[in-house]
Amino acid sequence: MVTVPSRLDSTPPASGPAPARRPTVVEGVPPSVPAPAAGQPLVEIEHLDFFYGASQALREITLGIERQKVTAFIGPSGCGKSTLLRCLNRMNDLIEGTRIVRGSIRIHGVDINQPDVDVIELRKRVGMVFQKSNPFPKSIHENITYGLRLQGIRDKAKLDEIVERSLRGAALWDEVKDRLGESAMGLSGGQQQRLCIARAIAVEPEIILMDEPCSALDPVATAKVEELIQDLRSRFTIVIVTHNMQQAARCSDRTAFFYLGKLIEYADTRDIFTNPANPQTEAYVSGRFG
Amino acid sequence: MNPPDHPFSPRPDGARRLESAVFWIFRAAAYLILACGAAVFLDIVVKGSATVFQSKAPFVNTAFLTQAPESLYVFEWEGQPRRMGDREFRAFKEATPAAANVKAESYVYSSGGIFPCIAGTVLLVVGSMTIALFLGVCAAIYLNEYARDGRFIRFVRLAILNLAGVPSIVFGLFGFGMFVIFFGWNVSLLAGWFTLAFMVLPVVITASEEALKAVPIGFRAGSLALGATKWQTIWRNVLPYALPGILTSSILGIARVAGETAPIMFTAAYVVRDKLPWEVERAVDFLFQGVMALPYHIYVVSSKIPQNEFTERVQYGTAFVFLVIVALIAASSILLRNRLRTRYKW
Amino acid sequence: MSQLSSSASAPTPQFPIHKRRLRFLGLTVEDCIKSFFGGNALISVVVLGLITFFLVKEGAGFLGQNRQNLAIYRLAGLEFVDHLRRQSEDHTALTRYLSDLRLRTLNQWTGPGGLTLEAANARLAEFDDYAARFGDAADPLRGMVSDLSEVATAIKTKFLVNEDKKEERRQLLAEGKVAEAGAVVITAVDFPAELRPLRDSLPAYREANREFSTRLGALLAAAPRLPEPELQRRMDRFAELGRTYVATFPGIERDLAVWDHARPVSAAEAFTAFIFGRQWLTASFWQDWYGVVPLLTGSFLVALVALSLAVPLGVGAAVYVNQIASQREQRFIKPGIEFISAFPSVVLGFFGIAVLGQALRAMSQLPWLSWVPGFPYSERLNILTAGCLLALIAVPTIFTLAEDALNNVPRALKEASLALGASRLQTTIRIIVPASLSGIISAVLLGLGRVVGETMVVLLCAGNRIAIPDFTQGLGFIVEPVHTMTGIIAQEMGEVVRGSIHYRALFMVGLVLFILSLTINYAAQHIVRRYRISIG
Repeated sequence: MVTVPSRLDSTPPASGPAPARRPTVVEGVPPSVPAPAAGQPLVEIEHLDFFYGASQALREITLGIERQKVTAFIGPSGCGKSTLLRCLNRMNDLIEGTRIVRGSIRIHGVDINQPDVDVIELRKRVGMVFQKSNPFPKSIHENITYGLRLQGIRDKAKLDEIVERSLRGAALWDEVKDRLGESAMGLSGGQQQRLCIARAIAVEPEIILMDEPCSALDPVATAKVEELIQDLRSRFTIVIVTHNMQQAARCSDRTAFFYLGKLIEYADTRDIFTNPANPQTEAYVSGRFG
Repeated sequence: MNPPDHPFSPRPDGARRLESAVFWIFRAAAYLILACGAAVFLDIVVKGSATVFQSKAPFVNTAFLTQAPESLYVFEWEGQPRRMGDREFRAFKEATPAAANVKAESYVYSSGGIFPCIAGTVLLVVGSMTIALFLGVCAAIYLNEYARDGRFIRFVRLAILNLAGVPSIVFGLFGFGMFVIFFGWNVSLLAGWFTLAFMVLPVVITASEEALKAVPIGFRAGSLALGATKWQTIWRNVLPYALPGILTSSILGIARVAGETAPIMFTAAYVVRDKLPWEVERAVDFLFQGVMALPYHIYVVSSKIPQNEFTERVQYGTAFVFLVIVALIAASSILLRNRLRTRYKW
Repeated sequence: MSQLSSSASAPTPQFPIHKRRLRFLGLTVEDCIKSFFGGNALISVVVLGLITFFLVKEGAGFLGQNRQNLAIYRLAGLEFVDHLRRQSEDHTALTRYLSDLRLRTLNQWTGPGGLTLEAANARLAEFDDYAARFGDAADPLRGMVSDLSEVATAIKTKFLVNEDKKEERRQLLAEGKVAEAGAVVITAVDFPAELRPLRDSLPAYREANREFSTRLGALLAAAPRLPEPELQRRMDRFAELGRTYVATFPGIERDLAVWDHARPVSAAEAFTAFIFGRQWLTASFWQDWYGVVPLLTGSFLVALVALSLAVPLGVGAAVYVNQIASQREQRFIKPGIEFISAFPSVVLGFFGIAVLGQALRAMSQLPWLSWVPGFPYSERLNILTAGCLLALIAVPTIFTLAEDALNNVPRALKEASLALGASRLQTTIRIIVPASLSGIISAVLLGLGRVVGETMVVLLCAGNRIAIPDFTQGLGFIVEPVHTMTGIIAQEMGEVVRGSIHYRALFMVGLVLFILSLTINYAAQHIVRRYRISIG
C-alpha cells in the first residue's frame, strides 16, 4: 500500500499540459480532423449515448485515451465504466438490447461502429481481460495459442516462441514453463488471470482492456498483476476498470471518474487523487460515498 | 401424562402422531411406486431369463439371440410330447415317413429366435438418433448461441414444447401420411427413421440446450475477445465442452426411440420378414425396406398368439431382451448424468 | 465517412479493422452458418405444421365421404327401416329384462328358497308362458323389419354397383378408351320407385302396430305376480317400462310418415355424426357408422382410472422425496422412479396381458372384496387393467414435474414458516404445497396428456370393445372393456384401404387426438407461466 504516495510523489508537481487539460470533460479533438496526428489520443470517444433496452447507461461521454498509457475508469457500481470499456471492442454487441444512440468511438480515427467494420478484426486489435479469470479448460500452451491458431498460424516453432514471449510478458513463464501441457484449470487464481493476460497479448493487440482484473484475487496476486500492468504499458495502451481506488492511483496515468452514466472528471491520476476539480470526485476518492 | 416441565418440551402427542401418520402415507406412496416398478421388472426378468439364459456353458441361449423366428409344432410321438421348430419338424417328417401325417398344433413365431428384431431395432435407433441429433443440436445451437429473445423465438420454443406433447401414434399417422404415402417410400427404414427422429426431436433439443447453457459464458467472451468469430467460438470453445452433456441426455431419447411401438407400426415395422436387413440386392434397397423390430414383435406375439406354456418362451424372452436393452440405455443415461454433474464444474 | 475512406486508402492503414469477407448472395460465411442453424431451429415449427397438414389432408375427405355415406343411408331407405328396427330392438331389450328376471327368480327359489331345480322350473311355467307370449307379440314387426331390410339393402347395393360402374367409366375415359366407356351400362336408380314397397308398407305397419300395442297392453296388464317383494318390484318396473315403450309407437309412426328419402344431408350433419356419433361400426353389412364418442369415452375413462391412481401416488411421492425423505432415500427413490419411465409401454402392455389381467380378475373374485363396484368380473382386459398400467406410465411424469415444482418453492418460505413455530407437516401442507400448486396441476395435466396419447397399453389391455360403457351401474363401469382413440388407430390403420372412408375416419380420430393433446399441453404451459409470475 506504500506505492500510492510514492508514485504520486515521484511525479513532478507541475507536469506541463496537465493543468491546462484538467477540464477535459468536453471537446477532446475536433471531429473533423481526418487522420490522427501524433500526440493525439488513440481512442476518441465523442458524445456517446448508450442504452440497455430503455435505460440509458452512458450519457454524453466524451473522452480521449492516449497511447501507451494506462487509463483507469473509476466510479461506484453501475456508473457505466464497464459498459464504456466493453464498447471499445464492441463486446456489448453480444448483449441483447444494447445500442449506441448517438456519438462515436474512433480508434486511430476509424469509427469502430460503422457497419463496414469487421468486429472480429477489431477484437484482434483490442484485447480484453475479464473480471473473472476465464482460462479455457485446455492446456496452458493451447490457451496461449488459441487466438493465434484462429488466425491460421500453425508453425510449431513460431507458436512455441510466442507462447514463451507472452508468458514472459505476463511474468508467468518461470512458474509454468515446466507444465505447459497441463490444464490451465489447475493454476491458482492469480496465475489464471495472468494467463488470461498472456493469452490476450499473444495476439499482439494494440489496446488491452481490463475489466476489474484483480477483483477476484488476493492481495499478493493483485500486486503481481499490478506490477505486470506497469511492465505492459511500454508496449500496449491499457484501459483498466477498477473500483479499487488505490489500484487506480497505483498503476494508472490517467483516471476518469464516472457517476450515474456520466463522465464527471477526467484528468491525470495524480490530479484526480490529490486535487480533484469536481466536488463529487473529491467525495468519491476520499471515500465519502460509493 | 406429565405436564411439560419447561417451555421447549415436546408438543402434545396427538399432533405428533398425526404428523408421523401423514408422513407414513407419503412414504407408502413413494415405496408403492417403486414396488410396482420392481414387480413388473422382476416378473419379466425372472421369467424371461429362463429363455435367454441356460445352465450349460455358454450360459446364454445363443440360438434365441441369433436365429430368426419360426413356427413351433407341438405333437405327440410314440407317447412322448415333442416340440419342434419349423425346420426341425420338416426334417423330422422327412426322416421318419411314419410321421408324415402326425397331427401337430402350431404356434407362429414361438420357436427360433429374435435376431432380425434386434437387428431392426438397432438400425432404427442408430438412424433416427443420427438424424435427431444432427437436427436437434443444430437447433439448440441456434436457440442458445445465436437467437435473441423475440416473438419468433418464443414461437419456436412453444412449438418445441407442443411437439413434445404430441402422442406417438399421431407421429405414426403423420409419418404414414407423409413418408409412406406422399413421398412414396412405403413401409421402410427411411420412413421409420424420420418419424422417430421427429418424435424425439424435442427431447434432443432440450437436452442439447441445457448442455450448451452449462458451458460458462466466459468461454465465449474470452474466445470472442481474442478475435474469434462466432462460429469459431462455438466450434472450438463451446461444443467440445457441451458434447458430453448432449450425448448423455440424448441417451434418454434413445431409450424413447427404442421403446416406442406406435410410430413404427405403419411406417417401418414388418410382422415378419425372412431376409435380414443387409441382405439386399442394391444399396438403395437398404433404405427402402421394412424391418422387424423388437417392440413390434412383442406386440405381435402378445396379441396375435395365445398365452400358454408353449408361447411363453418367446413372449417373455423377447420382452426380457427388450426391457434389458432399454433399461441399460436408460440406466447408463441416469448414471452418466449424475457423474457428469459432479465432474464438470468450471 | 471521410476519415474512413482516408484510412482505407492509406498504403498501410494504421488500424486495419476492415476486412472483405467472402459473401454468398450478400451473406458472409458467418451469416450463412447462422441461417443454417436458424433453419434447423425452425424444424420443430415445420414438423408441427406438417403434422397438422397431413392429418388434415388425409382426414379432410372424411366429411364429404361421410356425407355421402349418410346420404345413401337415407336415399336407400335404411334410415326408414332403422326406425322400425329400433322399435324391434327395444322390444328385445324388454324380453331380455324378462329373462334376467327369470334367472333372478330361479336363483332366489333354488338358493334361499330351498327348491330343487325341477321344482323351481315347474313353478316358473306360468312365467315362461307369459314371456313366450310377450316375445311372440313382436313377430309381425320382426317379419316386417326383415322384409324391408332386404328391400333397402337391395337398393343400396344397386346404388353402389352403379357407383362402381361410374368409376370404371371415368377411368376408361381417362385412359382414352371411349368405346369401352360407352359399353359400361349405367341404369340410374329411381329411388322413389324403388322405395315404393317401403312407403306402401306404412298402412300395413299402422295396422300391425295397433294390434301390437293392444296385445302388449293386454299382456302388461296381466303380468304374472311373483311372491317376493324384491322380485315383484322388478316385475312392476317391467310393466312400467313396457308402457313407456308402447307410448313411443305414435312417435315412430309420425317419424315414418314424414320421412323423406330426398332430404339432403348437410356437411354439418356429417360432422356432428362424427363428433357426437355414439357408434363406431365398420365393415357392417347394413350401415357403417363413424362416431368418435365411444372412443373418446374409452380414452377418458381409462385416463380417469389411471390418473386417480397416479396423482395421489405421484404427488405423494414427490412431497415425500422433496420434504420428508433423507438424502439417502432420495438418492435411490428418484432414479428408481425415473427408471420406471424408461419401461417401454409395449412391455407394460404385455405384462398386463400375461400377468396383471389375470391377477386383478382373481382378486376381484375374492369374497371379501365383493363390495368394490363391478367386482367380481370376468373380462380380464378392461378399463381397470389398462388404467393400472397407465398409472405406472403417468407416475414418473407427474412425480418428476411435481418434484420440480416443489423444489422451486423458495427456501425462505419454508424457513419462515418453520421459524414461526409451524411443524413440518403444517409447513408442507399450508406453505409448500399451495405455493407449488399450479406446478403440480400442470404436472397432472401433462400426465393426462401422456396417458391419453399412450397407445400400446390400451391397445393390448383395454379389451377393445367399441361401446360406451354402461354408467347405470355406478362405478361398475371401470371393469368394462372399451376401445380408445389411440387403440383404434393402431388396430385398424394397418387393415384399411387407402383413401376409403374408414381410412379417413382414422385420420380424423388422429386429428381429434392431436388437437386434444395440444390443448392439454397448452393448458399446462399456461398454468406454469402464470405460476412463475405469481412467484415473482
